[in-house]
Amino acid sequence: MSAQSIVVENLSKQYHVNRSQTRHDTIRDQFMDSLTSLFSRNRRSHQHTKTTSFWALDDISLEIEQGQIVGIIGHNGAGKSTLLKILSRITTPTLGRAEIFGRVGSLLEVGTGFHPELTGRENIFLNGAIIGMTREEINRQFDAIVDFAEIEEFIDMPVKRYSSGMYVRLAFAVSAHLKPDILMIDEVLSVGDLQFQRKCMAYTEELRKSNSTILFVSHNMFAVKSMCNRVIFLSEGRVCFDGAPAEAIKLYEGENKTSALPWAQNEIGADPSQWDIHVDELETFDEQGVPLSLFNYGERMRVRLKFNVRRTVMHPNFLISFIRSDEVACCNYNTEMDGFSVPVLETDGTIELLTPPLNLVSESYKICVLVRDAKFERLYCAQVGKSFHVRHDVLNTHFGVFHEQGEWSIDTGGALS
Amino acid sequence: MELTAGVTPGRPSVVIVPYKGLFQLDLPDIWRYRELLYFLVWKDILIRYKQTVIGMSWAILQPLITMVIFTVIFGTLVHVPSDGTPYPIFAFAALLPWNFFSQALSRSGASLVGNTNLITKVYFPRLLIPLSSTISPVVDLFFSFLILLVLMPMYGIAPTWGLLLLPLFVMLTLATALAVGLWLTTLNVKYRDVGYVIPFLIQIWMYASPVVYPLSMVPAKWRLLYSLNPMVGIIEGFRWAIIGSGRPDVLSIVISSLVVVVLMAGGLIYFKNMEQTFADII
Repeated sequence: MSAQSIVVENLSKQYHVNRSQTRHDTIRDQFMDSLTSLFSRNRRSHQHTKTTSFWALDDISLEIEQGQIVGIIGHNGAGKSTLLKILSRITTPTLGRAEIFGRVGSLLEVGTGFHPELTGRENIFLNGAIIGMTREEINRQFDAIVDFAEIEEFIDMPVKRYSSGMYVRLAFAVSAHLKPDILMIDEVLSVGDLQFQRKCMAYTEELRKSNSTILFVSHNMFAVKSMCNRVIFLSEGRVCFDGAPAEAIKLYEGENKTSALPWAQNEIGADPSQWDIHVDELETFDEQGVPLSLFNYGERMRVRLKFNVRRTVMHPNFLISFIRSDEVACCNYNTEMDGFSVPVLETDGTIELLTPPLNLVSESYKICVLVRDAKFERLYCAQVGKSFHVRHDVLNTHFGVFHEQGEWSIDTGGALS
Repeated sequence: MELTAGVTPGRPSVVIVPYKGLFQLDLPDIWRYRELLYFLVWKDILIRYKQTVIGMSWAILQPLITMVIFTVIFGTLVHVPSDGTPYPIFAFAALLPWNFFSQALSRSGASLVGNTNLITKVYFPRLLIPLSSTISPVVDLFFSFLILLVLMPMYGIAPTWGLLLLPLFVMLTLATALAVGLWLTTLNVKYRDVGYVIPFLIQIWMYASPVVYPLSMVPAKWRLLYSLNPMVGIIEGFRWAIIGSGRPDVLSIVISSLVVVVLMAGGLIYFKNMEQTFADII
């Protein structure tokens, strides 16, 4: 048996969600908040400051051996990022314990502490020290870092004058020379430009060969499937499944749960069951009604929403969007623009969308559901549900968002043979 | 490139557990990260005078200009007594610790919120953040001290052995700024109001300290209460060490030190207890 790399025992993390804990960046926020609390203490405590706490992680136990590449998957709010944050010591657990053997690096910290006024050289030392390298180590690796970043002639220029490509290359070069025993990646592969992603992949591959342990949090099931030899599927802070990637992904994609979209929380609150209307279940089928989450390019898809009405909603406008794993919103269908009028809703029900042929490129997509009023003003519900995949042998994100056939003609200046 | 993962038997292991206990200060951890402390201080100093025309000269000009203003207003116009010392020297001896203190305090007070990206992305002992912002103004203090060495002969003041005690008073100033800064920066994470209060606090504090006037102007019956302000003992100590007249006010220096010890202990405990929540609420 290989050496242990990470041991997690009964790890739990509790968060308190409290209206008054929203950020107070300005004195106006604070002042208005204080005013409201002064003059309407009772009402406010009824409506808003109901402190709710929830367990982002609930009794997690794991053992990860040296050299394993572990994918961590789950829907928004399942606890994936919280787990990585605890293991990288950014936040502390509420209960339980974890032990980490060896040096930890993360792609989250790429470029952390970079200061625009400092030169490339100065930033290498600063960033290196921040991510845990000793001065001696940085000195030793300095030339290699500069080489890797390909910025020799700009090394003594403030990084604010760098192009974004140079900046990212330099930031990445420092991280790539940390040589961690354990690498934690949180969705980073889906941000940054293509060149950056390629560097990340190459770096990860190199660490893999050197028997480093890798923890990989992602919504991109393609990446998870191709990289990991073990997948942990988290749901509501618990380990739902831990084992073979294919099986974990199947379970994940079969989950029909939805979760509230974080950005909507200030407007309508974090708890869907308190909204006027919310979606309980979201399912996808093929045209014939067979449950499916992997579609061929050009296939039609049925999206069925089971909604729950708490208070009468006048003529709601249902919006369904497909968001690619790199957070690009690819398309949207809504009842208002599609000329379908939804009646006044007083009771629970289901609504179904049959999409036109899916001409999206081969990727993983998640489904976002919003319920607004007919004028796109008021928001009733904002949730994100399961993911689906589109498959095509050639088309991928390099080809853009979707592909439709065009019409061509050619003119070679009359020199036709 | 061949990477070697640390599979050796002596791999460092880190145990992650919930934070418990009031007095778990993790001081060895800070020692282990001393190089990072050095780099953070170095960064602070580097970026402060970047893209200024006269650069480090500001460190010399700032206290000089303040001294001139104080001398004109308080020394010449208002005729504040200065215990027989030329007013410029009298004021400058107090401005040394005061400028250092006010810079260290305002920077450490804003330090955590100003470093959100570090706190939410990478682990290191959080104490390094206010600590480094408190230490970096030492550079300005050093430059001010050089001016003092030029000013003293100009006003016919001979250095005394007391000067050798200055480092001690510098340490005391640093400790005061850190102790108060720990409280403020921790509060600032949750209540951004603190950021608006700090400038006023510093302004009021200056008038509550013997910067522009001598300690002897404070009525004797209030002296003890007045000395609870740790900057009183520190400024008296600086004046004594530089001007060298009379005896140091030992009582106020002792009181100041005690107040600092209490503030520091409280600040450290408060900071360490809140530290675990920084990443979640900042």
